[in-house]
Amino acid sequence: MKQPLHPLLIAFAVVVFFFLVAPLVIILGAAVSDTTFLTFPPRGISGRWFVKVFEMAAFRRTIVTSLQIAFLATGFALLIGLPAAYALNRFRIQLPHWLSTVFVLPILVPEIVLGFSLLKSVQVAADLPVFSTLVIGHTLIVLPYAVRVISASLSAFDFSMEEAAVSLGSPPLKTFFTIVLPNVRSAVIAAFILAFITSINDVSVSLFLTGPGVSTLPIQILAHVEQFFDPVIASVSVLLMLLTVGVMAVVELTLGLTFLAK
Amino acid sequence: MTEPLTIEDLSAHYGKVQVLEDFSLQIAAGELVSLLGASGCGKTTTLRLIAGFLEPTSGRIRLGDQDLTRLPAHRRNIGLVFQNYALFPHLTVAENVGFGLKQRGIGGAERAARVAAMLERVELTDLASRLPGALSGGQRQRVALARALVIEPPLLMFDEPLSNLDAKLRVGMRAEIRQMQRANGTTSVFVTHDQEEAFSISDRVAIMQAGRIMQFDTPETLYQRPANAFVARFVGFENLIPMRVVAREGESVEAEAEGGARLSLSQAEYGAIPDAFVLGARAEGLLVLPPEAPGLPATLGLRSYLGRAYQYLCATPAGPLTAQGPLGAPQMPAAAARLQPLAAQCCILAPE
Amino acid sequence: MLKRFAGWLMSTPATLLVVLLLIVPVAATIATTFGDPRGPFAPYVDFFTSSFRRAVLWRTVEIASITTVIALFVGFLTAFVVSRAPGRLKSILIIAAVFPLLTGVVVRSFAWLIILGKNGILNNFLLWLGVTEKPLTMLYTEGSVIVAMVYLFVPLMILTLVGVLEGIPDDLLQASASLGATPSATFRQVVFPLAVPGLIVGAVLVFTGSFTSYATPQLLGGERQMVMGTLLYQRAMVAFDWQGASTVAAIMVVVTVAVVLGMTRIARRLNPMST
Repeated sequence: MKQPLHPLLIAFAVVVFFFLVAPLVIILGAAVSDTTFLTFPPRGISGRWFVKVFEMAAFRRTIVTSLQIAFLATGFALLIGLPAAYALNRFRIQLPHWLSTVFVLPILVPEIVLGFSLLKSVQVAADLPVFSTLVIGHTLIVLPYAVRVISASLSAFDFSMEEAAVSLGSPPLKTFFTIVLPNVRSAVIAAFILAFITSINDVSVSLFLTGPGVSTLPIQILAHVEQFFDPVIASVSVLLMLLTVGVMAVVELTLGLTFLAK
Repeated sequence: MTEPLTIEDLSAHYGKVQVLEDFSLQIAAGELVSLLGASGCGKTTTLRLIAGFLEPTSGRIRLGDQDLTRLPAHRRNIGLVFQNYALFPHLTVAENVGFGLKQRGIGGAERAARVAAMLERVELTDLASRLPGALSGGQRQRVALARALVIEPPLLMFDEPLSNLDAKLRVGMRAEIRQMQRANGTTSVFVTHDQEEAFSISDRVAIMQAGRIMQFDTPETLYQRPANAFVARFVGFENLIPMRVVAREGESVEAEAEGGARLSLSQAEYGAIPDAFVLGARAEGLLVLPPEAPGLPATLGLRSYLGRAYQYLCATPAGPLTAQGPLGAPQMPAAAARLQPLAAQCCILAPE
Repeated sequence: MLKRFAGWLMSTPATLLVVLLLIVPVAATIATTFGDPRGPFAPYVDFFTSSFRRAVLWRTVEIASITTVIALFVGFLTAFVVSRAPGRLKSILIIAAVFPLLTGVVVRSFAWLIILGKNGILNNFLLWLGVTEKPLTMLYTEGSVIVAMVYLFVPLMILTLVGVLEGIPDDLLQASASLGATPSATFRQVVFPLAVPGLIVGAVLVFTGSFTSYATPQLLGGERQMVMGTLLYQRAMVAFDWQGASTVAAIMVVVTVAVVLGMTRIARRLNPMST
């Protein structure tokens, strides 16, 4: 199609993308500002607010906690989500229809309600440690990514390939790892990344589950902003964005970024 | 209502790849012309250029007196039938057919009447209020045809319109399209990779290869007198035997193939034979004879039963050839034989 | 024999996790609201008789609705441009939309604190322009929450709709043009109707997302612009009124589920591709 877009439409899109990108640039500018207050454009360039982040024990601790939780929750979600996604596709006929709906539910339930309910019924009622409940909560919110992304990829997988491998003498478990898994590799990577990012950035579930001495980075940022309005927050935000950039670089190298738009 | 189509020196690129170079074609008013070729030959590009979905780098497209070259697609007034029909899934059959009239500002009663008349013609009146998703392949095809015809375009174009139908339906639709086109006398361009389809439906066929027209002629001429080895192979001359003349005596010519085997050919039967040429022969044009007969010496290989004859793969000094022998005398594999060309199923081509 | 149970065996751990740690706790939360000693609906009577809480619910619906409408409009037009952009530019635009989406809610909301604050960028800019004499109060208003929410959800809308628009076969647009439709007629009569199911999906995502959000209204609206999310937190963690918090939670679940089910039903009816 060669019909050109209306110039007004293009101008509109340009404004929208400016609107999307500018705030992030502003944070970057505020983070490197050599002032004790938040300002943009930056006055002077300094890395001292980045140093400050790591000097503050609360940030150091929560960064570590957030990474730990993200890895654990993502790992658990893949560990149980991958077999579930496989079963939902491979044994579609045997399994009842509602089973796949179960994995849509975490999306239907507002995260903040889940967080509150986990606090009430799990953390308090079962007297579970804060860290464990956080891992549980995060596993629940990232599980749908694991199941749905991998399931979408498996639904396009031709299971007769698996049968062919078995008929050629490959044992079932080995077949899974040598035939099925390589074919859904990109979906597994995508699921991992989406889940990891979701966990790292989560506020609504963590909000209720953090406790004395154990908090996550986004919750720590929220708490800090409410008391101080200094460039430390901008610096932490930049660090989080760098993490995102890192993740996107991994996606670009393995799958190509447009993959995420699908 | 009907106009001749003239394409002059059209060139087009996809990125850096030249897909069409100095392409020219003249289609008379009311004529149905097929563009025939394998995928990638440029036939679809040509159609998209005429429709205005692609812009040529140079050249001109004229329909009657009107220069279409720089006209936007929606103002070209060309009826298009797409390979996958491209019916609007959110509109009913009647709305699909009426879409073009609506764009022309034809409203209310007149539009309804013209849509109804067109649906009647393609026998879809009962399905007028259905959505395309509820139709069979053949019905969708007829909606697509109706939608293109109802705007009464001076030019109709078909982009492999039958390739998604099963074999039986395809032959039926072919006849329908041809009748409809004849009745309206609309100039038409038909793109296909199916030779039988192109030959059966067209007044003339342009056989394309690598963005060029290899031959543009009536089906009869293409079938019997291909202009070059490419077209010959395309229309089913399985055997192309390079030969050179070693002796001439009156109308009779003695020619030698690679490996030294000789044939006598009569210019009375074959027409003028140049000193170096390629003998093109269909399988049925190369007769298997006993080894003592004249012809190209051959060793018979795999035999297959065709119903009206046996077909043999033959090893010859001039390379492998395909020939046919009568049902009455099946030959054993590895038997020695002679292959004699039958002028009616053969042609003389310039060397490649 | 193991074969017959293999499917169950593999899906059970995940199913159990969701049932025991999501469905049961959330159901328990909702159930407690009906177990009030004063009667099964007493907490809801409390909620709806409190003009403050009614106002919170109304404000939340209002913010979510306005956000959804703006995001639909902005997202659809932008997605249309993105879907028609040439290959290389399209990838860049998609990255530009994905990046904010992968950046956390807190970070993205925080950016608007810097922009909209009393000494923020926008105020400085307006003062410099001379549009205003003294800094405007933009933070802690409904407008600031909506702006940040739109910022939050437009990338999601763009990505959803780019997928939908790219799913519309080129052939349909060409067919439309060949039948004489101008580009704008094609947009109105072919592209838009075919994108409606996608618009509904996007609207559901944005509405439920903004209806249940916490961080953005907390940062940009504060106490003054309390919404359901912040009310839930305030009831539970500040007032220790768990019954009240559970009621807020139950209302949020009901609204979310109603919107999702209602809209998917409409989407299914409207989807021409599904027939």
